[in-house]
Amino acid sequence: MAGRSGALEREKLSVKDGVTHPERREEGSGSGSDLCKDPEVGRAQEGGKKTPVAGVLRAVRTVGLAKLAAPVCCQELRPLVLSWSRELPCVWRALHTSAVCAKNRAARVRVGKGDKPVTYEEAHVPHHIAHRKGWLSLHTGNLAGEDHAAERTVEDIFFRKFMLGTFPGCLADKLVLKRRANQVEICALVLRQLPAHKFYVLVGYSETLLSHFYKCPVHLHLQTVPSKVVYKYI
Amino acid sequence: MAAVSSARWLRVRRGLCLPLTGRRAGLCGRAPSSRFYSGSAAVPEVEGADATGTGEVVIPKKKTWDKVAVLQALASTVHRDATAAPYAFQDDPYLIPTSSMESHSFLLAKKSGENAAKFVINSYPKYFQKDIAEPHIPCFMPEYFEPQIEGISEAALQERIKLRKVKASVDMFDQLLQTGTTVSLETANCLLDLLCYCGNQEPSTNYNFQQREQAEELEEATEGNNEKPKKKAGHQLGVTWRAKNNAERIFALMPEKNAHSYCTMIRGMVKHRAPTQALNLYTELLNNRLRADVHTFNSLIEATALVVNEKFEEKWNNILDLLKQMVAQNVKPNLQTFNTILKCLRRFHAFGKLPALQTLREMKAIGIEPSLATYHYIIQLFYQHESPSKGSSLIIYDIMNELMGKKFSPKDPDDDMFFQSAMRVCSSLRDLELAYQVHDLLNTGDNRKFIGPDHRRNFYYSKFFGLLCLMEQIDVTLKWYKDLIPSVFFPHSQTLIDLLQALDVANRLELIPQIWKDSKEYGHTFRRDLKEEILMLMARDRHPPELQVAFADCAADIKSTYESQDARQTAPSWLASSLNYIAVLFLRAGRTQEAWKMLGLFRTHNKIPRSELLNEFMGSAKASGSPAQAIEIVKLAGAFSLPICESLTQTLMADFTLSQEQKEALGDLTALTSDSSSDSDNDVGEGK
Repeated sequence: MAGRSGALEREKLSVKDGVTHPERREEGSGSGSDLCKDPEVGRAQEGGKKTPVAGVLRAVRTVGLAKLAAPVCCQELRPLVLSWSRELPCVWRALHTSAVCAKNRAARVRVGKGDKPVTYEEAHVPHHIAHRKGWLSLHTGNLAGEDHAAERTVEDIFFRKFMLGTFPGCLADKLVLKRRANQVEICALVLRQLPAHKFYVLVGYSETLLSHFYKCPVHLHLQTVPSKVVYKYI
Repeated sequence: MAAVSSARWLRVRRGLCLPLTGRRAGLCGRAPSSRFYSGSAAVPEVEGADATGTGEVVIPKKKTWDKVAVLQALASTVHRDATAAPYAFQDDPYLIPTSSMESHSFLLAKKSGENAAKFVINSYPKYFQKDIAEPHIPCFMPEYFEPQIEGISEAALQERIKLRKVKASVDMFDQLLQTGTTVSLETANCLLDLLCYCGNQEPSTNYNFQQREQAEELEEATEGNNEKPKKKAGHQLGVTWRAKNNAERIFALMPEKNAHSYCTMIRGMVKHRAPTQALNLYTELLNNRLRADVHTFNSLIEATALVVNEKFEEKWNNILDLLKQMVAQNVKPNLQTFNTILKCLRRFHAFGKLPALQTLREMKAIGIEPSLATYHYIIQLFYQHESPSKGSSLIIYDIMNELMGKKFSPKDPDDDMFFQSAMRVCSSLRDLELAYQVHDLLNTGDNRKFIGPDHRRNFYYSKFFGLLCLMEQIDVTLKWYKDLIPSVFFPHSQTLIDLLQALDVANRLELIPQIWKDSKEYGHTFRRDLKEEILMLMARDRHPPELQVAFADCAADIKSTYESQDARQTAPSWLASSLNYIAVLFLRAGRTQEAWKMLGLFRTHNKIPRSELLNEFMGSAKASGSPAQAIEIVKLAGAFSLPICESLTQTLMADFTLSQEQKEALGDLTALTSDSSSDSDNDVGEGK
């Protein structure tokens, strides 16, 4: 969630400056649509690209200031919007807006008819962290007086996406990332989809590529299971 | 003013500190003698530490510790875990290799993954430039393999030489000469170095495990039999030096040549098997009144040994000449000189023994410490044939006495062959004490590094364990078995057969089912000789009932492996003996149903049952009191026309009460068999 609001924060910055940053907009919208998986945002974005300028202007005026920050504006609009908003007699404030994501729906698998298998990790909700479940990512960035927590989080996101792609259909559960000294240890639970020597190829490849990318030793620890470990059916 | 005061203050401070540091350092100076890892620290010579009574305070030098001294100390507290797979593998039962072939393939797979990643990184270096490591780690940066400097210049030539691009650098050199610029001597020498090292071919960029191992095996093979033509070996092992290749051409084009140029050319020629040309070039070097260095002399010694069609005495005299010239030119020999001499003497067979000892004495007289490779060559020279007909030399004992407790560091590429050859000798001499000595030497200090690559380590441990099975008490052997297998090496089927025979000698046959279970894990499920040995040992004698049950389970397991093998292959895998053994074991354990099924198998696979087996079956039929079974046996014997049929029939008539139909059927059967036996008698009579 933090990532998503951060992306849209960046998006808003580009609007405020009045300078067009086409790449950042793409990146922001890309990660935004990825992380929140909200169809509304995507649709609005496409609407913004397709309709002509005047129509968009009208839409923006009717919708109001709040929707300005949403990634609806197309490039030509930016200076116009800026001038229009400056006319309003209010203090220029940054509004954090995004698609709705209620915190009582975060990381919760919705109850089904009793045929949906969930792992232990999925079955427990976030307020059980430190009570019934541990953390998926262990680093010292969040301790008092320590910094670079955000960098660790971004690295984690990259590790998770990378592993998801490199071991296609083989990951049985979310990765556990442990940072010890300057090393990163990726502990993955894998299904026995591939023969063992293919696993070793992927292990050698991922370890080397990630080490070179992040300039620190990266170790991969695999544990194989015959199938996903089901905790209960909900 | 301030400077003077500060200097005075410093002097005062130093005066204060002096006695303190002396005492503290004195304490520290005495302590390291008890620490065993202090080899990494620079331990000072504390002469005056004991003589504290005298007024002299000797300040020892500051002790410097290795960067990893703490880690080394911690590492020395743990020993090898005999239950764990080597750390290179993932710790998971699905991913741990179960045979040496699997372990080899997994390591190769991992390496190929790394190569793929390196390819990606070096193809797109711009994504890997961001350096967040503090301090900088150079090995995590992408490498540049393409020359950056364009144009024709000497700097471009040097860059291509540094990147080891043979063809590009030769082309650049030619272009430079065409434009008329003279290439400096150092650069020309560098180019010659590259060409002579690579043999006028591009060095292979792929780190090829398999090629290297093949080359090593071929090397060992060629050393074994010298009758193999040298040309063939050259083709297989690497490049041969062709006349008028790039190196010679450039050598001829060079306006000035110094000693280094000649030396490089000589070394290149010897490396790529052109010994006569190398010797000619050496005479040219002497004519130009230049001096060769010690590496060139080492190559020349090898060249004299490589020259064909010369007698051993002549070659030895040539080598001695070279050594005398070395002395005349004031060139000090090094370890490689003596190792090269010994390597060449290996090819001289019996003639080389005396010169080898002389060389060794000379080496010690000069004060050069022999390396493991030296002893390896000596062992190879003295123990060349596997089984000596006359008395074999006792030099191995002298060698081991000398080497006890020594720690070695790598000095020669052939250092890792010592342990293999030493264990081979121990095994052929059947000396267990010597083998223990060799193994202790392997475990002193860091000598474990010298065990060599996988196949060499497997050979060493196979021979060691084979010797243990042969000579050592069974309890100790089993302890070694648990310790070594499978964490250190995967056993061959021959090793397991040796272990089984050791169990047989020591009368510990109850462990056989356990050994069979282990063999299945190590990939020997379908080894026929191993299964035969197991079955034979189990079926040979009668045992107490619980043991028979265990044996019968084991036999059933082996039977299922035979059946699954049958299902996969078209060729039948059963042997008559194995069928016999399995049937006997079933009978003895009381599993009569399955035993009778085995009889059926005899017929399907067309194997002949043994007479003892049929007797046992008869006994079991008697015990169960069923005449039908007894008749079955007699019919089977009759079908195979076994001579025992008659005695079986007699026992049948004597011990069983038969009904009328059965007697008639029996009568037909006996008639048939008697006919056939009489026919066979007649045939035999006619044949005679």
